[in-house]
Amino acid sequence: MIQFITAILTALTTGAIYALMSTALVLVWRSTRIINFAQAGQAVLSTYIGYEVTIRSGSFWVGVISAMIFGALLGAAIDRFFMRPIFKRIQSGPILMIAPVVATLGLLGIIQAVIGFRWGLTYQSLAAPVSTDGFTLFGRVIAFSPFNLLVLVFATVSMLLLTVLFQKTNVGLALRASAHSPEIAKLSGIKVDFIRTLGWSLAGAAGGLAGMLYIPSSYLYPNAMDVLLVFGFVAAVIGGLDSLFGAVAGAMILGFAISFATSYVSEKLVFPMAFVMLVVVLLIKPAGLFSGKKSRRD
Amino acid sequence: MIKLSPTKKRTLFFVALGWALLLIGDRIGELLQYQGSFVAMYALAIASIILLTGYSGQLSLGHSALMAVGAYAGALSINNLNLHPAIALVIATFVAGIFGLILGFGVARLSGPYLAGTTLALAVSLPTLANQFPILGGEQGVVFDVGAPPARFGEDFSMYKWFFWISTLAVLIMLWLISNVVSSRYGRTFRAIRDNETAAALSGLNTGRLKVLAFAISSGMAGLAGGLLVMLISGVSPSAFPLSLSFSLLTGAVVTGVYSLKGVMLGGLVLVAIPEIADSIVTRIGGSEGFTATLPGFLVSALLILAVLFTPNGPGTLLHSFKKHN
Amino acid sequence: MIRNTRMKRFSIVSAVVALGTMVITALPAQAAEPGLTSSEIKLGISTPLTGTAALSYGKVPGAMKAYFDHVNANGGVYGRKIKLIVRDDKYLPTLAATQTTNLVLKDGVFALVAALGTATHSKAYTAASLAKKNVPDLFVNTGFSGFGNRTKYPTTFTVLPSYAMEAKIISKFVKDKFPGQAVALVAQDDEFGVDGVNGFAAGSLTLASKTLYPQSSMTDARAKALVTGLSAVPGKPVVILFGTTDVTALILKAAESLNLVSKFTWIAGSVGGDSNTLLALGVKSTTIDGIVAASFFPDAKDTNDEYVKEFSKINAKYNPGVSFDNTVLQGMNSAMLTVQALRAAGKNLTRTGLIKAIENKGAKFASAALVPLNYSPTSHIGYNGYWMGQLNAKGELKPFGGTLSVVTTDSTNGPITPSTYKRISIPKNGIPTNS
Repeated sequence: MIQFITAILTALTTGAIYALMSTALVLVWRSTRIINFAQAGQAVLSTYIGYEVTIRSGSFWVGVISAMIFGALLGAAIDRFFMRPIFKRIQSGPILMIAPVVATLGLLGIIQAVIGFRWGLTYQSLAAPVSTDGFTLFGRVIAFSPFNLLVLVFATVSMLLLTVLFQKTNVGLALRASAHSPEIAKLSGIKVDFIRTLGWSLAGAAGGLAGMLYIPSSYLYPNAMDVLLVFGFVAAVIGGLDSLFGAVAGAMILGFAISFATSYVSEKLVFPMAFVMLVVVLLIKPAGLFSGKKSRRD
Repeated sequence: MIKLSPTKKRTLFFVALGWALLLIGDRIGELLQYQGSFVAMYALAIASIILLTGYSGQLSLGHSALMAVGAYAGALSINNLNLHPAIALVIATFVAGIFGLILGFGVARLSGPYLAGTTLALAVSLPTLANQFPILGGEQGVVFDVGAPPARFGEDFSMYKWFFWISTLAVLIMLWLISNVVSSRYGRTFRAIRDNETAAALSGLNTGRLKVLAFAISSGMAGLAGGLLVMLISGVSPSAFPLSLSFSLLTGAVVTGVYSLKGVMLGGLVLVAIPEIADSIVTRIGGSEGFTATLPGFLVSALLILAVLFTPNGPGTLLHSFKKHN
Repeated sequence: MIRNTRMKRFSIVSAVVALGTMVITALPAQAAEPGLTSSEIKLGISTPLTGTAALSYGKVPGAMKAYFDHVNANGGVYGRKIKLIVRDDKYLPTLAATQTTNLVLKDGVFALVAALGTATHSKAYTAASLAKKNVPDLFVNTGFSGFGNRTKYPTTFTVLPSYAMEAKIISKFVKDKFPGQAVALVAQDDEFGVDGVNGFAAGSLTLASKTLYPQSSMTDARAKALVTGLSAVPGKPVVILFGTTDVTALILKAAESLNLVSKFTWIAGSVGGDSNTLLALGVKSTTIDGIVAASFFPDAKDTNDEYVKEFSKINAKYNPGVSFDNTVLQGMNSAMLTVQALRAAGKNLTRTGLIKAIENKGAKFASAALVPLNYSPTSHIGYNGYWMGQLNAKGELKPFGGTLSVVTTDSTNGPITPSTYKRISIPKNGIPTNS
C-alpha cells in the first residue's frame, strides 16, 4: 500500500516538473515550429540568475520572479536576434527541419559554456523556500513534502494562467491564430513577428520557473536540465505538440508510467519506459493525444 | 573523348578517389591516418542522415542508437562467432538495416517532430538497455579487434594505416552503392516524397513503404559507420553512443548541405577538425582552468551557429549564389 | 549543371589534396624518447574537464599540476621540469581514444598519468597503441581490477584499490559488525557499480535487496520512492550506497525528508563517501554523523596527518581557490608517486626504465595511503586494502569502533588479512629525494 501511494506521489511530483518543461517546448513549437533544444540552457541560465538574486536578496520569491523575467527577456532576444535571421536565410524543404535543431543545439552549447565561464562547473545547491520534510499521514511520513505541494500548485496555477491567456484574451487569440495560420493572421492585422517573440518569452519564463522549482530538489550545474529536456520533449510529443493541455497530460502520463515501472519492475526502466510510452501512443495516434489538426505534415 | 554513362563515370570517380586516398595514406603520419579514418567514418554517418533527411524528408535524432546496433552486431560476430572483420562489418550493416526496417514499420510514417521525438527517446534508452544483457559486456562493453595488419604488408605497416585502409575502403564502397541508389528510380521517388508527399501518393507511389525503405537503408549505413567507429576506438560500450553523437551528425549534415551527398567528406572533416582547432586555440591563449575547460565547447558551438547562419543550405548554395553574382 | 557538379567534385578533390599537404608538413619529428629534453619532461592526462563526470573528478589535473609546480619550483626532477598536458575527454570512450592518441602522437608525451574511467581508458589504451609504443600508463584512476592484467595492459600501473576489493572488505565488515541485519545494496548501473556487485558476491554477503540505477536518471523523487521501498524491511537494515557522491547525497536527503535516516545503518563506498562534498550538496550534518565509509587514505580533514598537512600547504599555494578534499588528496598523491617513479628511473630516463623502476622500487615509494603499494616485477597493482571508518557531525572520518584496523585483500577469492604496513613518512617539504 505504502509503495503504491509513494508511486503515485512520485509520479505527481515528477510529472509536474516534466509539465513545466513540456509547456515551454510547446509554446515555442506553436509560435515558430521549432523544437527548442536550447530550452535546457535557457532554463538553467535563468535559474543561475534566480540563484544569485536569491542569495543577494535573501528571498527565494524575488529569485523566482527574477528568473522568470530574465527567462522571458532571454527568450525574446533569442527569437529576435537569432532565430529570425536564420529563418530569413533558410529555403523551404527538409533543411527547415534540421537547421533550427542544429542552431538551437549550438545555442545550448554557448549558453552552457557561458555558465561555465561565469559560475564554474561545480554543483551549487539552492535551498527550498519551504520545508522538504514529508507530510505525516496515518502516523507515517510520506514521500510528499510542503515543497512538493508548492511545485504542484505552481505548475497548476501557471497552466491555468496560460489557458486563460490563450482562451480569453485578445493576445491569446492572436497567439493561436499565428500558430495555426500565420498568413491569414498577418492579413487580419496581427503582428505575427511580435506574437512569435511573445511565444518565446512565455516559454522562457516557464523555463525559468521550471528551473527554480526543480533545482532545489536537485543541484545547479550547467547540464542540470539536459535530461529534463529529453523527458519534456517526449511528454510534449505524447501530448501532440500543439496543445498546452496535451503537454501537461503527456507529462503526467510519462510521470506515472516511469514511476510505476521503476517502483514495481526495475530502476533501470526510466529511459526505456519513455520510449515505450511514446511508441505506444504514436502507434495509436500518430500525431499525439491532443493535437488540434488532423495531419501533422510540417 | 569516350562517352561514358553516368553510372560508369561515377564508378570511375570512386575508383580514382580510392586510389588517391591510398596514395595519400602512404604519405601521411599515424595521427593523420587515424584522423582520416574518423573523417571517413563520420562522412558515412553524415551520408546516412542526408539520405534520410535530404532525400526522403525524415528527421532522426536517434542515429547514435542505430550506430550502436551495428557496432554491437559487428563486435559480437567477431568475438562470439569468430568471423572475419570484413564479414563483421557487413553484418553490422545488415543487422542495423533490419533493425531500422522493423523500427521503420512502426515510426517511419510519423512526420517531422514526432519521428524526431521517437528517435530521440530511442537514442537515450537503447544504450541503457545494453547493461541488461551480459553478452553485451555491460558498461565496459565488448572488444572490437580487427587484428593486426596482414604480415605481407611489412613491418612498417602500422595499425593506423590499417584503420585508414579499412575505413576508407568500406566507406567508399558504401557511398558508391548509395550514390547509385539515389540516382536510380528509388532516388527520384525519395525526392518526390520529400518535396510533396501528397502528390507522390497521388501519382501511385507507396509513400509509406518507400519511407520505411529509406529509413532502413539509412540505418544500414549508420550501422556500418558504428562498426567502423568502434573499430577505431577498439571496443564498443554504451557510453560510446551518447545523444551528442546524433547531434554531431546533424551538424555535419547541415555543414555538408542536406540536398547532396557530394560534400560528406567535408562534413566529416569539419567534425574532426573543429574540436582540434578549438583545442589548439585554447592551448595558444591559455587562461584559468575553468576558462580553458569551457572554451572548446564554446568555440565548437559558435562555429556551428556560424555554419547555420551563413550556409544554412550547405556550401553548395554558397557556390550557387557566388556564380549568380558573377 | 554538369559543370557545377564537376566543380563540386573538384572542390572535394582539392580539399583532400589540401588535407594531404597539411599532413605531410605536419609530420612530427620522432626522437629516441618522445617528450623528453634536457630541461623538460612532458606528461599527459586524459580526463573529464567538462560534463557531469567533471563535477567529481575535474579537480584531479589541477591538483597534479599544483604538485608538479611545487616540485618544479624546487629544482624539478634531476633538473628537468615536469609539464602536464591536460586533454578533456568528457568521460566519453570516443574522445578518450582520440585525446589519448593526440597526447601520444601530437603532443608527444613521455608518459600518461592518472587517466580516468574504465570504459574510457580501456579503449584509449588500445586505440593509442600504448602497449606497442611502450608508453608508460601510470596510476590510472579507476577501481576496475582488469587493468592489473599485465598481458593486456603491460605498461599500466593501477593505484586505487579495486571496487571488488572494497566490496569484499565491506562484506566482511558487515558480517562481523552487523550480524543478522538485512543488507540492501544500492549501486550505480555501470562498471563501477557492477564490479562492486560482483565483489559483494565474492564476499558472499547475502543481500536482502539489490537496486541498480542509471546514474543520470536518479532524482529526488526516485530516491524517495527507493528509500520508502527499503523501509519495509524490519529491524535496522544496513544500506550500502555504491555510487557517486551526488547520488549518495540525493538518497540521504530523501531519507531526511522521509524521517528515515535513523532507520538504517548507512555505508557509503569510497567514491561516494566524501563528507565535504556531501555537506556542500546540502546533506545535514546530523545525517552524516554515523555514516560508515571505507577509505584507504587518511581523512582529508585530518590536519594532524603529515601528508594532509603538506599537501594542503601546496594546494593553498599553487591551486588557489580550490578546497582541499579527497579528490585533491588523490591527485597530489598520484603526482608525488609520479615524481618518485621518475627519480627512481634515474638521470638517463627511458620509457622502459620508468616501467622497470616502478616494478623494482615502487613498493617503497612514500605515499599518503595507509595501505601498501604492491608493485613488483610480477604485479602492477597499487593499493590493495581499506580501513573502515565512521563520519562524525563535522564530517571527519574516524576509525570505526575507535581503533584503526587496516585490512588488505585481492580482487578475486583471496582472504582478507590485517595489514602490517607501516607508512613511510613524507619527505621534507613534500619533495621526494629517494631514487
